[in-house]
Amino acid sequence: MSGNTAAAPVRSQKLRKDYTRTRLFVFSALVAALLLVAVFADRICPYDPNGQDLANALQAPGPAHLLGTDRYGRDMLSRVLVGARTSIFSALLLVAVIAAAGTLAGILCGYFGGAADAVIMRIADICLAFPGLVFAMAIAAVLQGGIQNAVLALAAVSWPKYARLARGQTLSLRQADYIHAARLAGSSPGQMILRHVLPNIAGPVLVTAMLDIGTMMMELAALSFLGLGAQPPTAEWGSMISVDRSLLQTYPWVVLSPGLTIFVSVVLFNLLGDAVRDCLDPRGTGRKQKKIRDGRK
Amino acid sequence: MKKKITAALLALGLLVSALAGCGGGNGDSGEAGNSGEKTLVFGDTTFNAENGEADINPHRDSGGWACIRYGVGETLFRFSDSMEVEPWLAESYENVDDLTWTITLRKGVSFTSGRAMDAQAVKECLDALMEEHARAAGNLQIAEISAQGQTVTIRTEEPVPALINYLADPYACIIDMEAGVTPEGIVSGTGPYQAVSLVTDTSLSLVKNENYWDGEPKIDRITVRTISDGDTLTMALQSGEIDAAYGMPYASYPLFENDNYTFTSCATSRVFFGAMNFESAVTSDPAVRRAIAMGIDRDSFVETLLGGNGYPAAGVYPDSFTFGGDAVSAESYDPEGAAKALEEAGWVDTDGDGVREKEGQRLTLRWLTYPSRQELPLLAEAAQASLGEIGFEVQINNTADHNTIRTDTGAWDIYVSAFVTAPTGDPEYFFSYCCLDDSAQNVGHYHSDRLEELAEELSGTFDTDRRGELAVEMQQILLDDNAYVFCSHLRMSMISRASVTGLAAHPCDYYEITAELDLV
Repeated sequence: MSGNTAAAPVRSQKLRKDYTRTRLFVFSALVAALLLVAVFADRICPYDPNGQDLANALQAPGPAHLLGTDRYGRDMLSRVLVGARTSIFSALLLVAVIAAAGTLAGILCGYFGGAADAVIMRIADICLAFPGLVFAMAIAAVLQGGIQNAVLALAAVSWPKYARLARGQTLSLRQADYIHAARLAGSSPGQMILRHVLPNIAGPVLVTAMLDIGTMMMELAALSFLGLGAQPPTAEWGSMISVDRSLLQTYPWVVLSPGLTIFVSVVLFNLLGDAVRDCLDPRGTGRKQKKIRDGRK
Repeated sequence: MKKKITAALLALGLLVSALAGCGGGNGDSGEAGNSGEKTLVFGDTTFNAENGEADINPHRDSGGWACIRYGVGETLFRFSDSMEVEPWLAESYENVDDLTWTITLRKGVSFTSGRAMDAQAVKECLDALMEEHARAAGNLQIAEISAQGQTVTIRTEEPVPALINYLADPYACIIDMEAGVTPEGIVSGTGPYQAVSLVTDTSLSLVKNENYWDGEPKIDRITVRTISDGDTLTMALQSGEIDAAYGMPYASYPLFENDNYTFTSCATSRVFFGAMNFESAVTSDPAVRRAIAMGIDRDSFVETLLGGNGYPAAGVYPDSFTFGGDAVSAESYDPEGAAKALEEAGWVDTDGDGVREKEGQRLTLRWLTYPSRQELPLLAEAAQASLGEIGFEVQINNTADHNTIRTDTGAWDIYVSAFVTAPTGDPEYFFSYCCLDDSAQNVGHYHSDRLEELAEELSGTFDTDRRGELAVEMQQILLDDNAYVFCSHLRMSMISRASVTGLAAHPCDYYEITAELDLV
């Protein structure tokens, strides 16, 4: 009997702790620290980042120069710190510009439609038809290089992603009941966009922008590496690698310092973007939702 | 856990595949196995259209350099190791009078086309050169050439004391005009190697000239590869993709200073120098030019950034020439003196931003240079810092498009380039090419009445000692005007695998691939 009355096997479920908010806090703190370093770089760098001392060229890392010196005898730590300002702030400016411009274009296209929608979206299609970085290189070359022109070039090729995202979101929102209600209540198109459309698409745009910071940092570094970004003697991580790349085998610290800094910064911004997405994404595509789904299996 | 192990194994597999793909050469270099042929790959950073070497046609731009360097063409005269002119395809010459030269040609020499090299062939070649190459026509000033058997008689329009030197210039490579120039730019010369294919900016394929007149070439096939990037050249030699290299960055030298590689080096008259723009509001000011000359630290540049592979320059020519080195005096590095000179001329930093101004004109120096000579950008950045300390704002334009930009005097203030100042062993070339009113490369539009007078005298002076004296006086004029700033003369090196023999650097920088080149 006892065999017949045995209890059915209990389905075990491992409870998983949700670290989403913890990750968001940790990565936000680390990125904030990075930004603080960039803001106060000129105050905390031990030497003049552009001051040459040829007698001390290519010194290995040591007590006097923690990251060594480059071929002009410039302190690598100082240049990496000051380079953070150029590299990070340029990337942030770039992302802000493309997110704002692309979102604005996308909302207007999605909300009003018509000929303007067709024209703007075809321009976006043209931009997307080229490999982004190659197109940006061509534009930067025409603009004669320089970090501002590199930002402009990347902005010119990167906004369509945001325009498409915002347009798609706006098109779906336009059919929502509350939008119809607001329209019947007499809201002007401007009010509709500012009060009802923009707040509802801000989440996806913000997540995309956060994830784009690392990518844009890499692409700016790539343009600088090719000589189309920051010009000497400006300390910028990509151009620092480019200028000293011939020393990689003989004096590796001059390339590894900015290279590792780019790596760490890009990873941090990507992880932060990931954490922000997990917190904001309501559709269950983030890690949090994945964990929940996994837990329900 | 299993998934993680699988992922790790896949990642490891990808890594191994990637590393396997990176390793090894392309199989072209070194001695070939099956056929028993000796093959060699030579990498060169300068064999490209940017340097005027789109092909090996000596009558076009600087194609003669490629023609002679890679063993395709030869000249009537050549330079010895001490830069003395000696016969090559010629056997002897006689200066009959100020305007007439008789050259007797070597017998038994033929072009790779099969045609014998005789006076008629030389006449056809030099006639074509005069028509097609403006610089050669300006140097040689040939009025008439007559040919008889193996004797060429050249009559010049004006006395050309350096005619024999000019006939040793790469543009004077003797090629078979009957065979002509192929659409790829291949010519038929008399050298130890015959060109069989050429792709501009990519490669030149050579096979040995079986009928070479001066011994049997030892390599069966040679590929000259254009590798304009110094780091790529470094890695190509390290990986065995190439056997020998010209134009290696000095920074890479330590990688090859071991028993596996051989260096061949010598001092050359190639100089890194800046030409001032006399139409610029900034560099037309004598005080500014003087401050620039005093604000560049030549010694540190040579010692640190060239790694000692050069010599600080005073004037146009290195001290291996009797009219070079300390025969002239130039401004030395003196930042305080430079600052004082600017102060006295009214250039003062009124707004405290570190950059001087004068009558609303900011002391901005637009420094035009180019990257294919890899040390030029280093010089630019070093000067940017040292000149910055005395109140200049130096804006560097480091571009491969320099040849176009330098023709626009509104686009730059100082043009810094590398230039072989005495390719013919004679002093006249630099002045006639760079400094006179009718010079093709007087890009900064410099003018000096006295220099023009002395150039006129130099062009008609046959006495070597007097030519040297004139050269010194003319250099001093350039230096007193600070029309040019000479930074350093270079030591040229070629690096090869230890198995390569017979590769020897030459002070004129013309002769690289010769019949002596071999693989052991």
